[in-house]
Amino acid sequence: MPGAAERGAELREQMEAFVARLRGGGGRPRSEDTARHTLALLRKIIAHGHWGSAGELMELIRAEGRRMAAAQPSETTVGNMVRRVLKVIREEYGRLRGRSEESDQQESLHKLLTSGGLNEDFNTSYPTLKANVIEAINELLIELEGTTDNIAMQALEHIHSNEVIMTIGYSRTVEAFLKEAARKRKFQVIVAECAPFCQGHEMAVRLSKENIETTVMSDAAIFAVMSRVNKVIIGTKTILANGALIAVSGTHTLALAAKHHSTPLIVCAPMFKLSPQFPNEEDSFHKFVSPQEVLPFTEGEILAKINVHCPVFDYVPPELITLFISNIGGNAPSYIYRLMSELYHPDDYEL
Amino acid sequence: MSTDDLIEAFRAQLRDDPDVASAVAAIRALLGFLKRDRGETIQGLRSSLLDAIETLSRVDSSVAVSSGGELFLRFISLTSLEYSDYSKCKEIMIERGEIFLRKVSLSRNKIAKLCHPFIRDGARILTHAYSRVVLRVLEAAVESKKRFSVYVTESQPDQAGQKMAKALRKLDIPVTVILDAAVGYIMEKVDLVLVGAEGVVESGGIINKIGTNQIAVCAKAQNKPFYVVAESFKFVRLFPLNQQDVPDKFKYKADTLKTSQNLTEEHPWIDYTSPSLITLLFTDLGVLTPSAVSDELIKLYL
Repeated sequence: MPGAAERGAELREQMEAFVARLRGGGGRPRSEDTARHTLALLRKIIAHGHWGSAGELMELIRAEGRRMAAAQPSETTVGNMVRRVLKVIREEYGRLRGRSEESDQQESLHKLLTSGGLNEDFNTSYPTLKANVIEAINELLIELEGTTDNIAMQALEHIHSNEVIMTIGYSRTVEAFLKEAARKRKFQVIVAECAPFCQGHEMAVRLSKENIETTVMSDAAIFAVMSRVNKVIIGTKTILANGALIAVSGTHTLALAAKHHSTPLIVCAPMFKLSPQFPNEEDSFHKFVSPQEVLPFTEGEILAKINVHCPVFDYVPPELITLFISNIGGNAPSYIYRLMSELYHPDDYEL
Repeated sequence: MSTDDLIEAFRAQLRDDPDVASAVAAIRALLGFLKRDRGETIQGLRSSLLDAIETLSRVDSSVAVSSGGELFLRFISLTSLEYSDYSKCKEIMIERGEIFLRKVSLSRNKIAKLCHPFIRDGARILTHAYSRVVLRVLEAAVESKKRFSVYVTESQPDQAGQKMAKALRKLDIPVTVILDAAVGYIMEKVDLVLVGAEGVVESGGIINKIGTNQIAVCAKAQNKPFYVVAESFKFVRLFPLNQQDVPDKFKYKADTLKTSQNLTEEHPWIDYTSPSLITLLFTDLGVLTPSAVSDELIKLYL
């Protein structure tokens, strides 16, 4: 059928373009956009791909997911969305089989003792599976749209009048959070500029447009100013399975200073940033960019004698974090394992 | 099946396969007991099993045997809830028991697969006493071509650390045996601490060979990650708040409990490490933070 072949070729092309864009790594894509693109691509694969049973579909998604995730390991939202889709497929399959949702999902001591030894083989084919899965993915997309608003809605509970809030760099989620609170409360914000890209400047400009009293300061002054700060509110790139963060470089310093002064550290991040990976020593989350920002190439003489690095991300351990505010509410870092078991299936942690 | 036969079956399990965990040997012996049981009712079965578990803990009073026994009892209760006809119930129990034992024999490999990525190339690892699970993890790390060196504490009073060192040398891993008292000294050189556990308690803490608590405190003081590897059948329904709360029957060997006049003069064999000192637990149910352990136990027992 010419229609199918055409669609197949078009899908191929879109996949290649997406992978190339991920690998290129230029600019600073919004995590939400990456997540939306990934979901849209996966939906196309489900709609037009060649698969017969749920098992084959999962294999297909897994293979494509592995390719996309390998293109840019620090872009963890891609992998997260693939895992969400795999969980959706399992759930829909289970529902069609007539199983209740709770059983068979998680490994547990209970399951070890009571199972009859039959493993789900996902080989029966159901004609309505495709439609059900696509519908569930559409629901996921709708959920994605609303994440920033859901987080911002909780702002009034956490920010009170005449407080001094500190943040670092430019996070769109934190921007929405602070803007929502500013509608009803008067408070001050101190923004650490977050060298070498100095995105804190952009954040400060946007906040001051909303008539929030903003101060920009250098990263070196974080500790000095911390004694005056009531709360630290930051965004993050990824939340790891043990409750730790992979956030913009400079966040660990901020977190340590906050811990020292017993200032609460609040992380605003939507649930699609939660990744089931642990911070093992594979160091696959690191991303280094051109050291041009740190020491420009014009300083040729010095450059010949030294090594210059420009890492983009920082690791923040879970003990330094007080609260996670996500689109499903506020949670402590020690509760992350539970949220993870609701979003992903253990067999999918390793794509 | 008489008590002597049961004890003999248990001892035979431990003899034939020195690598088997004592909890698994206990469960196998209990399954054999179940197969030979002549009772006609669930109540009768339950009470004879309780006696059997009591007998086994008189032979080996460790936490592992106790947790294995309790797991088996739970297994019986869960199965008997589903089938009211006794003979059918018994058939299903035996079938599920075999499946459980098969799954459990794979648990060490699962744990090794989860844990070895956390060992970086060039790492220096500190471990305590003799743990077969830790041995398996280090074996897996060697198989994935990582180079690392290990410090083992001598672990008095039975010098279990020497046994561990011997086993590690067979795997061509550079090993150094250190005194138990030298842990504070060596901690600055070490990259991570990896220990096994005899029991994992509800709070996410562990019960392990005496000396583990010290190592955990030193590791915390110097910011070194403290990893625990344990199979899921070691989860027990205890919630000790301090060392005193751990029952005496676990602290001392079975013979000591029988013969000693004054337990306070005996040296305990185990101690309790609190969950705040533990970074991560590697189990066959996945990588867990200490707070996730109680969730697993609740799912089973409630």
